[in-house]
Amino acid sequence: MKDMIPVDRKMSTMQDSKISARGVQVYYGETHAIKDVSVEIADNTVTAFIGPSGCGKSTFLRCLNRMNDTIDSARVSGDILIDGEDIYDPRVDPVQLRAKVGMVFQKPNPFPKSIYDNVAYGPKIHGLARNKADLDEIVEKSLRKAALWEEAKDRLDKPGTGLSGGQQQRLCIARAIATAPEVLLMDEPCSALDPIATAQVEELIDELRQSYSVVIVTHSMQQAARVSQKTAFFHLGNLVEYDDTDKIFTNPQDPRTESYISGRIG
Amino acid sequence: MSNTLILLVILGLGVLGFFAGRARAMATAEGDRRNLHSLPNYYGANTALNAVVPAAVALAVWLIVQPFIINNSVSDMIDQGAIAEGSSLGLIMSDVRRVAEGLDVAVAQGAMTEQDASDMQTGFTDVRERLAEVGVALGSGVSAETLLAAQRYREMAWTGNWLKTFAVIAIAVGGLVLTWRVITRDYRARNVVEKGVLTVLILAASIAILTTVGIVLSLIFNTYEFFKLYPAADFFFGLNWSPSFSGRGQSSQLGILPLLWGTLYISFIALVVAVPIGLFAAIYLSEYASKSVRAVAKPMLEVLAGIPTIVYGLFALLTVGPLLVDVFGEGGMLGVNWMSGGTAVMTAGLVMGMMLIPFVSSLSDDIINAVPQAMRDGSLGLGATHSETVRQVIIPAALPGIVGAILLAASRAIGETMIVVLGAGAAARLSLNPFDAMTTVTAKIVSQLTGDSDFSSPVALVAFALGISLFVVTLGLNVFALYIVRKYREQYE
Repeated sequence: MKDMIPVDRKMSTMQDSKISARGVQVYYGETHAIKDVSVEIADNTVTAFIGPSGCGKSTFLRCLNRMNDTIDSARVSGDILIDGEDIYDPRVDPVQLRAKVGMVFQKPNPFPKSIYDNVAYGPKIHGLARNKADLDEIVEKSLRKAALWEEAKDRLDKPGTGLSGGQQQRLCIARAIATAPEVLLMDEPCSALDPIATAQVEELIDELRQSYSVVIVTHSMQQAARVSQKTAFFHLGNLVEYDDTDKIFTNPQDPRTESYISGRIG
Repeated sequence: MSNTLILLVILGLGVLGFFAGRARAMATAEGDRRNLHSLPNYYGANTALNAVVPAAVALAVWLIVQPFIINNSVSDMIDQGAIAEGSSLGLIMSDVRRVAEGLDVAVAQGAMTEQDASDMQTGFTDVRERLAEVGVALGSGVSAETLLAAQRYREMAWTGNWLKTFAVIAIAVGGLVLTWRVITRDYRARNVVEKGVLTVLILAASIAILTTVGIVLSLIFNTYEFFKLYPAADFFFGLNWSPSFSGRGQSSQLGILPLLWGTLYISFIALVVAVPIGLFAAIYLSEYASKSVRAVAKPMLEVLAGIPTIVYGLFALLTVGPLLVDVFGEGGMLGVNWMSGGTAVMTAGLVMGMMLIPFVSSLSDDIINAVPQAMRDGSLGLGATHSETVRQVIIPAALPGIVGAILLAASRAIGETMIVVLGAGAAARLSLNPFDAMTTVTAKIVSQLTGDSDFSSPVALVAFALGISLFVVTLGLNVFALYIVRKYREQYE
């Protein structure tokens, strides 16, 4: 599986980007939501998208696994390549793509099924397990990675909706991990959580970096500073600035970024 | 004064009260409505309510009570021993009332003076003849006692009516004046009016509930009468249904089982038709159809629900029945001879299924739409296809609601009448062949009570026993459906 990738490939090898977007435009009907965004997202890195509400950061995130396809009025143009392959190529099956690019949503959305079935859902539909023992192993491993195993192992057959908010969100992360994705997209994963659950999820995100390329949309600049290595600042559909997180927060190049970070806009 | 006139006077006082109350409120507030506790109209409404409501209630009570009192006091005048053989106090009293009314008519037409009417005596006048002149026919001659009673009756009614008029109007005026007097700028008229509104709401709710109770009670009493005439065990466990109208019900066999079997069999076929089609239609409409298709298709489907069931019955009788005979009947397409006539369980079941499709689809559609978008996103985000999402996430999440919808459709199927009357035939029969004619509980209730029915014979009374059995079955289903829907409603919250 992907967690066998050696960990020494760090920030130094920036050129082997996992996702590269070039000249991406998104329209919702008449609204021009994303204006000519180009960005390179590295493997084994946490990339944060920040910006005021309605700036297009979630929209752009949803382009990366073609979730915008489910919205009738959305049109996407430009190139988005994952591992050098254009994901908007007609030959690409969005269903397969989403198995490779997992997603965690703003509000925890466990299915009304048992905890076990929630995690096993992806592996089952993608045929990742040969038998029950395999599936058990995948479930346990995913829950362990999502730091939920200790809390959930005795109640795997209980409904996932019975967990607390923070546990539910970790369950959703476990569910996303279980399909063995290469990229994990997180759309404000902590906005519905209390500070303690947020801390747990953030810790988890940092660990997930070992195995995945993580892209996180967040409203909290502190969170972006805490968990990410790279930060992209979006404003009114434009990608204003994209750089190392340290640099964005200490020495932003664009005056708009500086205003947002210092709390003057947004 | 007539009751209508009294009512009009009360209402007039109400209108007067409205303006008087409003004016007084404004006066105490020195013409500035901001000084008042409530809006001026509340003071008006409060005064009007206090004038109208107690008076109207008093009028209603009076109208109920007065006849009782008069009846009692007049019937005391009649000598119990004088009641002829084969007659009763009730009959004599109705004679008395009739004569009294006759006298009223005669006075109104000017054929008699008021004095004549109260002083008339049987010894000098033939009352029957004189009343016949003004168009009031009496069955027999009027005895002295009856005439006296009738005169007494008129007297009391006359006094009563005047008392009623005065009392009711006094109450209205009293209510008006008392309320008007307590109005000050701090009087909480708004709260009082709110209480009045609350009372109206409570009354509306109780009427709905009391009606149900009344229906159930009337069923229970008539059923009790029926079981006095016919053994309950034979009714519930009898395998034969052959009412005999001529023999006063003595030779009737009234077993509910063949009817219940027909009901359940037809409902089962209807559900087998309606549930998959309705459910699939709901899934298509809520999950796959584009907005424009949905805007057209959903109302079209719901039009089905608006077709009167008698029209479905005609459709069953004239179209579906013959069509089925062409296929399954003698010399039909399949070369089998299962079906002898157009009316059969299958005919009624198929058509009833069509009728139920919009029930299932419309309710299921709402329920599927209520599944949060987050569920769909979650599943699609894991790389599930649309149909996997529907099958594995949306349907399980919506299942309790869908089960509720199906159970509601089932209770509707069980209670359906017209399609069965026209489509299923009238023969009560315990058979497994869906191409046989059978009948249902509802259809038999109709046939037991159509035409001249004598409500003292078991053949007619059995309808109530059938009705209450049916009621219990559908009530049970509805309660079960509500229980299921409630139990799982909040699952995805």
